[in-house]
Amino acid sequence: MSRRALALRPLVARATAGIVWGSPRWAARVLFSFAHAEASSRLDLLAAARRTPSEARRALYLRHALDETRHAQLFALRSAELRGKRGLPPLGLVRPDSEALFEQLGELGFLAFVHRGERRGRQQFESYRAHFARRGDDRMRALFDAILTDERRHESYTGALLEELAGGARGARRALRRAALWEAWRRWRRAGRALAGVAYAGAMSALYLVLAPLALALRLRPAAGSRWLPPPGPSAGEL
Amino acid sequence: MAAVLGISAYYHDAAAALVVGGRVVAAMQEERFSRLKNDPALPRQAAAACLALAGISPGDLDAVVYYENPYAKLERVMTSMARDFPRTFGQFPRAIGSQLGSKLWVLDQLAEAIGVERRKVLFTEHHESHAASAFLTSPYPEAAVLTVDGVGEQATTALWEGRGAALRQLGAIDFPHSLGLLYAAFTAYLGFEVNEGEYKVMGLAAHGAPRFRAEMDRVVRLESDGSFRLEPRFFAHTTERDVGFSPALEALLGPRRPPGRPFDLDANPDDRRAADVAASLQQVTEEALLGLARAARARTKMPALCLAGGVALNAVANARIAREAGFERVFVPPAAGDAGGALGAALIGARDLGDPRPPALATAALGEPFDGGAAADLARALGLTPTAPPDPAAAVAQRIAAGQVVAVCRGRFEWGPRSLGQRSLLADPGRAESRERLNRVVKQREPFRPFAPAVAAAAAAATFAGTPNDMTPFMTTVARVAPARAAALPAVIHVDGTARVQTVTADGAPDLSTILEAVGRETGDPIVLNTSLNGAGEPIVAGPVDALAFFLQHPVDAMLIGDALLERGAP
Repeated sequence: MSRRALALRPLVARATAGIVWGSPRWAARVLFSFAHAEASSRLDLLAAARRTPSEARRALYLRHALDETRHAQLFALRSAELRGKRGLPPLGLVRPDSEALFEQLGELGFLAFVHRGERRGRQQFESYRAHFARRGDDRMRALFDAILTDERRHESYTGALLEELAGGARGARRALRRAALWEAWRRWRRAGRALAGVAYAGAMSALYLVLAPLALALRLRPAAGSRWLPPPGPSAGEL
Repeated sequence: MAAVLGISAYYHDAAAALVVGGRVVAAMQEERFSRLKNDPALPRQAAAACLALAGISPGDLDAVVYYENPYAKLERVMTSMARDFPRTFGQFPRAIGSQLGSKLWVLDQLAEAIGVERRKVLFTEHHESHAASAFLTSPYPEAAVLTVDGVGEQATTALWEGRGAALRQLGAIDFPHSLGLLYAAFTAYLGFEVNEGEYKVMGLAAHGAPRFRAEMDRVVRLESDGSFRLEPRFFAHTTERDVGFSPALEALLGPRRPPGRPFDLDANPDDRRAADVAASLQQVTEEALLGLARAARARTKMPALCLAGGVALNAVANARIAREAGFERVFVPPAAGDAGGALGAALIGARDLGDPRPPALATAALGEPFDGGAAADLARALGLTPTAPPDPAAAVAQRIAAGQVVAVCRGRFEWGPRSLGQRSLLADPGRAESRERLNRVVKQREPFRPFAPAVAAAAAAATFAGTPNDMTPFMTTVARVAPARAAALPAVIHVDGTARVQTVTADGAPDLSTILEAVGRETGDPIVLNTSLNGAGEPIVAGPVDALAFFLQHPVDAMLIGDALLERGAP
């Protein structure tokens, strides 16, 4: 599993599985978010494959990226199936995004980050797999089974590469600690952005109300005609 | 001799283009690097790749030219939001946020991202960039130029007169009256992704009948002077986040098609209705464009027309303009949409610094070259076994003739949305099953999506009426297939008997030209099915990593990577 799946810790995942998967509509959303995370992870891995100087690691990152593609497709398909059963359309195209992690963190930091994400994801998926096994939902259990096989392999190879690149277990632990710090810093910035977003929305809403007189003034002017208009003059600073 | 980098960004399809000494050196879309289709982000990687290809550093640049006026754009957004007060309440924070948060500062961001002095970062006007991207790369010394898209700063459509290296605007039609936004609203109505699904609407239109034409005439009114007017109550450009249409449109045409539902044009009446709506839209779009082109002809008396802007990617409409608008010649560049604005901006910058107008664009292969050696090394690291056929083109031709689907990665990747032989999937156009296999299995797209033929230019006229012409090298028009030849090309003919043909010369697409020669030797017919080398929802392949990812994920029979050949099932 990838770095950006729901940031729930395994214990929390176990405790909340009943709620997360209780409603098919909500389950479809969660699966779609997994698809998004996998697809985004694919982009970072492809970027890593392009940038690493090692041919062997290039091949490993590329194989990993292909696994993530398959996982994204499986999650998106299951999400669409769950919604389809209730006569709802799919949640749309999975739109991945990339954080340019390899560029930001360097190869060692990138590997540490991916390894942490894989471990967290594997633990989380194991708890979900157990949840579905208990409920006798073979379809969902099989889905997580199939993905867990890859997750374990990803966790294992990234761990081995990390040690190799860091020059041993001690270096690898140091890189993992740095990745944990970076993730914490990222969470802090995200929280800040979210807070700023709320403040911004409030400010913009207030500004919008201030626009009322301008809106009234504009309405007194005729709207843009549909006919050909003469060309405007150049603006300041324009070529 | 100036070095000028043009940039388009922050709406959709960001790109960079480099002009040095009046010659187009490189032009690339950011999506090829970021692997995010239609990536709108600041094109850092594309810009860096352009500079690297030319062997120059940011300090060597004389100017960086952004393709539109960010201040005028902000003014238009503010004004249109205010005009629709208070219905724009929900959209205002997001719309203004994206303007104030990034778009307004784009010139400073470019200076920092590219590493040039701020004083060297200039801007031009959106439709002028489009006009330059078409006229200044066309083979015409003088021409009428029409630019038609969603919206630039204020204009959605503009008419220009091009002479030598100069462009003079003769008139414009302003937001919200926009053929691009009309098409976008219907793209959403038909359940496709805006800025991505417009091609699907075009493909769907061919399968419908324009039985909603009367309703369409209520949505868009065509005027006798070539202008047009959208009826505002059917649209929601400023009040809806994801779709540009209002409930009134659904009341007029029926409920929108749910996104993501698989198409069944044979059995599902709703899907047939969707095809009929698409056909009606296509018809009114063609007539609107034809009206504009006729007005351009009447106003300029010029013998040639250049078209640009996203709407100019409507190949069917372009063919109709070429036939019916009264021009002797018509040119549409390979990147007619927003990406092309980067090239137009660079050309304007170079011209204003005293450089000559570039020669006519002979090839769309303006991207990064494909590193065949690196691809073969990666293939081996992945446990694949690339072989080195003595004549790669002949090896590809033999496989196509045997009914195989072959991917080709050679040379510099293409500028614009079309694969023109450098990053292509090739197959036998004579087998109907090629189309089914490519649509359903390889590309996993809607079954009604058509494929295009690529033909040796010298042999084109015998099969495709009116070819070669100025648009066919870039696949920006369609041509009628000679009836006697139709049965031989079932995989590439649209239901209306036309094909979006690419005519190939050794100058324009040397590798594909060699392959077509070899196909001609194999089959007697130098024609192949040519479609873009990309998976569903992905940008076209750029480098070795993307190529190998495609090969491992999609059931193609073989892939040419540089001079090496990979085959499915090979040890």
